[in-house]
Amino acid sequence: MTQMEREDGTSRDELVQRVALMEEMIAEGRQSTARYGWMFVLWGLTYFAAIGWTVYFPHTEWAWPVCIAACSVVFGVVRSRQSRVEGKIDNLRRHSLDAVWQVIGGGIILYLLAVIVSGHGKEPGYLAAVLFFNGLANGVSARILRWWPQAVSAAIWWGCGTAMLIFTTRTEVLALFLMATFCGMILFGVYAMMLEIRSTSGMQGGR
Amino acid sequence: MTNFEAEDGTTRDDLVQRVALMEAMIAEGRRNIGRFGWIFILWGLVCLIGIGESYLLPHSYWVWPITILSGFVIQFIGIAMHRRSGNWPSENLKSRSVAAVWRMMGIAIILYAAPAGVTHTIHQIAYIAAIFMFLGMAHAISAVILRWRAQGVVAGLWWAGGVATYFVPRNYVITIYVVEMVICMVLFGVYAMWLERRRAAALELHHA
Repeated sequence: MTQMEREDGTSRDELVQRVALMEEMIAEGRQSTARYGWMFVLWGLTYFAAIGWTVYFPHTEWAWPVCIAACSVVFGVVRSRQSRVEGKIDNLRRHSLDAVWQVIGGGIILYLLAVIVSGHGKEPGYLAAVLFFNGLANGVSARILRWWPQAVSAAIWWGCGTAMLIFTTRTEVLALFLMATFCGMILFGVYAMMLEIRSTSGMQGGR
Repeated sequence: MTNFEAEDGTTRDDLVQRVALMEAMIAEGRRNIGRFGWIFILWGLVCLIGIGESYLLPHSYWVWPITILSGFVIQFIGIAMHRRSGNWPSENLKSRSVAAVWRMMGIAIILYAAPAGVTHTIHQIAYIAAIFMFLGMAHAISAVILRWRAQGVVAGLWWAGGVATYFVPRNYVITIYVVEMVICMVLFGVYAMWLERRRAAALELHHA
């Protein structure tokens, strides 16, 4: 019996198996994030559309609710089709990542609703908070998946959020918000989709 | 060969083992929250002391930085003592995910609050509400991962506080803050530690 077995009843083989399982789950988690790269692009474009509406069109109070509702419908339809075609991928890491994104997504919607309904939309802190919430989701995912490109995305969100608390004119706030959305969401989504396409074509080439 | 085996090569025994492993990880994750319950109590008290000090010294800009820094020093010492006592919890996938959530939440709140503190705009409703939402998010994610209803309730209370700050008169915001800190930080920490104590006592009794 080894030292490890004496201490907590875990044999070396069991530990090796657990590490292999963890590595497999990390790889699966990254792959499924890459598979859902389109979601980042979709939400990034939705943010752009909502900001565009608030700048160029009337009835700005409806910009966010309408854009988020439309995006949610598209998201739901595409996601349900995707899961029907590919089947449900479920492991412990996936479960944790789903929890992170669902909770933070729900939190952002709740927060935005409270801001809009209460008429506090002019305080700069609220948009910065939205950037920080997005950074939090990316930061936790990056930490769980040990994936540095997603950590870079988190840093972009947090960096722009911090800058937004210092540069508070309307133009600066809009520029920072659009920059964070473009780099942290759209570019990251495109990168994830590229990874997925490369991995799929690699698998097809292998066959 | 069972149906499971025919579909994806997984036997029933494999599935039973995986479920058992997941349940063990969930239980371990909850125990870790119990072991670190003192951190919730610590930060609840730090935030209450900070608010008390800023009430007594309304013009001092150093109240919050010093109070928060003291909190970090105490937490650092507490964790070092925890490690030295050999009572450091084992890590698994679930507890690693929960730890990732709390670490990132801590970084996010510091990054969010620091510039607001420097520019003296932290008293705006949006900031206070956002901090409640951050804490609610961390509790909610942890509750979903660990399937722990009590923590889910705490998350709900944080979010309710975050939303309420936008709608109540300004004077009541401080009351919400104090109530949240007492219930969701101090009392939740006490509850988590009590659960962990009870489990440890039951384990000792079982071994005896």
